[in-house]
Amino acid sequence: MNLLELKVGERINYTGCMIVMRDAAQRRIEKLLMEGSNVPIDLEGKIVFYAGPTRTVDGRFAIGPTTSERMDKYLKMLFELGVSATVGKGERTEAARKLCREYGRIYFVAPSGAAAALSEHVERLELLAFEDLGTEAVYEIRVRDFPLIVGIDCEGNDLFEFIKSASGGDRL
Amino acid sequence: MKLLLVKHEELVEKISQKIIEANNVMREEIVQQLFSYDGPFSEVLRRNVEVARTKDLPLCQDTGFVEFFIFIPFNAIFERPIQESCDEAVKKVYSSKPYRYSVVSDPLYERKNTRTNTPSICHIFHWDEEKLQIRLLIKGGGSENLTTLSMLSPTAGEEELMGKIIEHVARHGSKGCPPLRVGVGVGGSADKAMLLSKLALTYSLNDVNPDPRYESLERRISEKLNQLRIGFQGLGVGPTVFSVHILQAPTHIANLPVAVSFDCYLSRIGVVEVEPVRIESR
Repeated sequence: MNLLELKVGERINYTGCMIVMRDAAQRRIEKLLMEGSNVPIDLEGKIVFYAGPTRTVDGRFAIGPTTSERMDKYLKMLFELGVSATVGKGERTEAARKLCREYGRIYFVAPSGAAAALSEHVERLELLAFEDLGTEAVYEIRVRDFPLIVGIDCEGNDLFEFIKSASGGDRL
Repeated sequence: MKLLLVKHEELVEKISQKIIEANNVMREEIVQQLFSYDGPFSEVLRRNVEVARTKDLPLCQDTGFVEFFIFIPFNAIFERPIQESCDEAVKKVYSSKPYRYSVVSDPLYERKNTRTNTPSICHIFHWDEEKLQIRLLIKGGGSENLTTLSMLSPTAGEEELMGKIIEHVARHGSKGCPPLRVGVGVGGSADKAMLLSKLALTYSLNDVNPDPRYESLERRISEKLNQLRIGFQGLGVGPTVFSVHILQAPTHIANLPVAVSFDCYLSRIGVVEVEPVRIESR
């Protein structure tokens, strides 16, 4: 299955790897790029999951998506680094829709406030970089049957825009 | 004069238990709401309740900033400062459970994680009761980012107040893990209104404002917000809000502050009560 061919609103169960990062790690990557330094993570063809896991205690942890909109300012940077898809929660800005269309990339929403259940779909969690950032470090996870819905497809169609127009005039 | 002694160890123990319960066990009134939802991701959200409870995991990876609203008998004395007792409970729980350290020290520059999830936020009030009551809120960062304050004109009416809230939720509601609970602080000063809006989030879904005018306003705002059809996960199915809670306070002739705070659908709240030991002093 080519993920990029999925259409807005489609529900899938994803099995494979994702790179976990959020605000602080992306801010640091941006800084490294601006300094001309090496970015210690290969993002080519990877899916980025906006999340920060809990600590692991006796092999147990919880993980779930954080708000994607905060990451919009780094989305172009991720696409330039080769990221094929992003995963998070909630509506994004017009800028994100444009970038998805321009680069032919996709945005998935994952269930939020469901971190205990989602952890059962995670087979491996491994620290990749920026350990000093704690929960905001970069991790790689391997997931099985991870539930996702296409939030923005590679043509820039947006699920949340669609929901808004469907509920129409009685929104206000 | 009669004095009341609040024991540090007892406080830490009771607060710790309540923090764990709020993080891991969905409250019954929320379970009922959740199980009547059958839209997108409903099966995952339902299973989450079971997995969290049976595997001793938090319902959400964002185990929050812990906020305490502490009502202290005016004649109570403490073994340790109350902030210290609260922080000790938070540190104890967050360093032993698979929870997340979500607090950074300096907000603007270093943003270095404190690795204890402390300090907690403590708001202290005195009251004329013999028991100590602590209302706690496990506050996620996503819903916190939706917080807003409007300094309305003193001649504004309820229509304008409702308009502000509806416009804000329509624009941002999908990002705060809806269905939301909405806390509204009306009146006071800007800071007082904000505090009231947060305190309002510590009430249960069926708690209503004792003033019938405000109760009616709570209900009408709630109805309007549910017409937005943002729904569970912002995916358009189910309620947009579970409840709206207003707390009002006297204000200045030139002001009408309206603060709005939001809580995510998990509604991780709890109430701790402690009966202090009576001591006589001369």
